[in-house]
Amino acid sequence: MKRIFVQYKKCLACKACETACAVEHHPAGSLAAALGDRKTQVNVRVLGIEHESFPLSCRHCDPADCLDACPSGAISRDAESGAILLDAAMCKACAMCAMVCPFDAISFKATHRSCYDRDVAYKCDLCNERVKAGRKPACVEACHSGALVYADYDANRLKQASKSLRAYLLGEEGLPPQLELFRELRRKEFARRRGGE
Amino acid sequence: MKVVTVGTGMAAAEFVQRLRLDGFGDEIVMCSDEGFAPYSPCVIPFYLAGEPLDTVYWKGKDFYGRYRVEARLSDPVVEVDTEQRLVRTANGRNETYDRLFYAAGARSWYPRPEWLDTRGVFGFKTLSDMVAIDRYIGEHNVRKAVVFGGGFIGVDAALALWHRGLDITLVHRNTRVLSQMTDEEGGQFATRKLAQKTGIHIRLNTTVSEISANGGQLAAVQFSDGSTMETAMLIVSIGVAPNSEPLRGDDKGVPGDPQMLAESGIYTAGDVAVTRHAVTGATGIYATYPNAMQQARTAARHLLHGDGAFGGSINTNVLKKHIDFPIVSAGAFSGEAVTWQQGDIWRRVYLKDGMINGYIIIGDTRISGYVYQLYLSRKRVDRTIREILSSPRHDSYYRSMLGLTMPLAA
Repeated sequence: MKRIFVQYKKCLACKACETACAVEHHPAGSLAAALGDRKTQVNVRVLGIEHESFPLSCRHCDPADCLDACPSGAISRDAESGAILLDAAMCKACAMCAMVCPFDAISFKATHRSCYDRDVAYKCDLCNERVKAGRKPACVEACHSGALVYADYDANRLKQASKSLRAYLLGEEGLPPQLELFRELRRKEFARRRGGE
Repeated sequence: MKVVTVGTGMAAAEFVQRLRLDGFGDEIVMCSDEGFAPYSPCVIPFYLAGEPLDTVYWKGKDFYGRYRVEARLSDPVVEVDTEQRLVRTANGRNETYDRLFYAAGARSWYPRPEWLDTRGVFGFKTLSDMVAIDRYIGEHNVRKAVVFGGGFIGVDAALALWHRGLDITLVHRNTRVLSQMTDEEGGQFATRKLAQKTGIHIRLNTTVSEISANGGQLAAVQFSDGSTMETAMLIVSIGVAPNSEPLRGDDKGVPGDPQMLAESGIYTAGDVAVTRHAVTGATGIYATYPNAMQQARTAARHLLHGDGAFGGSINTNVLKKHIDFPIVSAGAFSGEAVTWQQGDIWRRVYLKDGMINGYIIIGDTRISGYVYQLYLSRKRVDRTIREILSSPRHDSYYRSMLGLTMPLAA
């Protein structure tokens, strides 16, 4: 089974992942329709933290605290892809899932999947249909800098997770020189803004 | 080996599903005083708010058929005979068992049970209650209601009926609603905001002392301050009691050991089970869905494989229904309080020995998962918790992971 790994040091905060996700999950499937639509659902969020940036989305944990906490039968795991899926028709937006998710990967609002004209929980679905058809998730395909990687999730990763959530989230490391340069410049710029240099 | 469950609630359904998915092929009988497939008590108020009944069956309406269960419904279990290994029902049926799963749940507790004889007075606990309330509102064109009791279930009831368009008066004897889930200040904040956001009339330090009926039909309620209010509907939701009498002879719950065994051959779980708290070690009834799940899974595993142990319950809970205003809490509200508030958001963590002893997060859920994990993992947070609570972008988890400290305040 595969997961999306984040090599945050390669993230340029261009938000191409957010855009691709919004289009992929919009019923019209177009950027023009997704823009300005309050119900547009963006399942990945680029966090800017000082000079670093981090594309944040559901980790599809195993075992998953959200799955064990959902009292309405809305959250399930796809046996084939391993994706944790959320059924908006069953979701009551009760927030039991969000209350236990360490990654803050679950949000609430009225989306195009809402059935009863109210907010529902929404989160990354690993582009389940796409990946089962042999394609990459939309955000990974859109990532130009290699910060998002769709790769095999081996049993070792579970051991890594218990040792270090950092390794679990970040996957392998190693940066091309131009990215190192970019990061160095960004670091300096943030230091300058803070008045340090 | 014949397995019988007393109860068809969430714990019993999870237990049976686990047994079947793990290959258990022998006879399973499930007994209930109600006549439904297993349903989610967390979801049933949404039926009153207008959502389809089918969504309450969180493991599917066809549960009994799919998992090859003999369902003995609408016939309460009144006695467990542990000598002869059988359960007796109100209709006189005897059901023998090799292993019993006792998960009879809890029922509404009424200060004046005779009030229920008056048309228009309801409890708010079961799907039967919801169906009766729904029918009554439709038949009598009910426009306003009084909810007596402002705990989790009372507020849940008030919000569901408010969402349906009724004018709601919520009466609570305490100084704040949700008094078990909150401390004084947090509870008052939540009470104020809930009233502002919904227009529900909340009357604190008040109880319903009497009701008056007209031809068996509720006409008005009288409050403890002497005032009265005309209403055709009263919801009584001031407390619950575990259904432990058939097994234990009293309503104090059923103590379970780490394997969720109440005694030899009898497992227990859910809202009737007395368990240890995973952090504090205090024994009690921790009636939430995640606890019931873990208890039921522990029992199923022990029955099939003879191993496993329950790691303890957590008293974490969240109320976020019908409006986007969550109230989250866990642990005990004592120790050094660290508070942060801005607009509709109010957050407080209680520290003890540098670790989180309890917390209340009102108005959003964004850091609640992180704080929950910090609480469970017993990490020292005394140096960082102020930043975590006040972080304007709710990114403290990712900050800590990237090794970036918070910027100094300007």
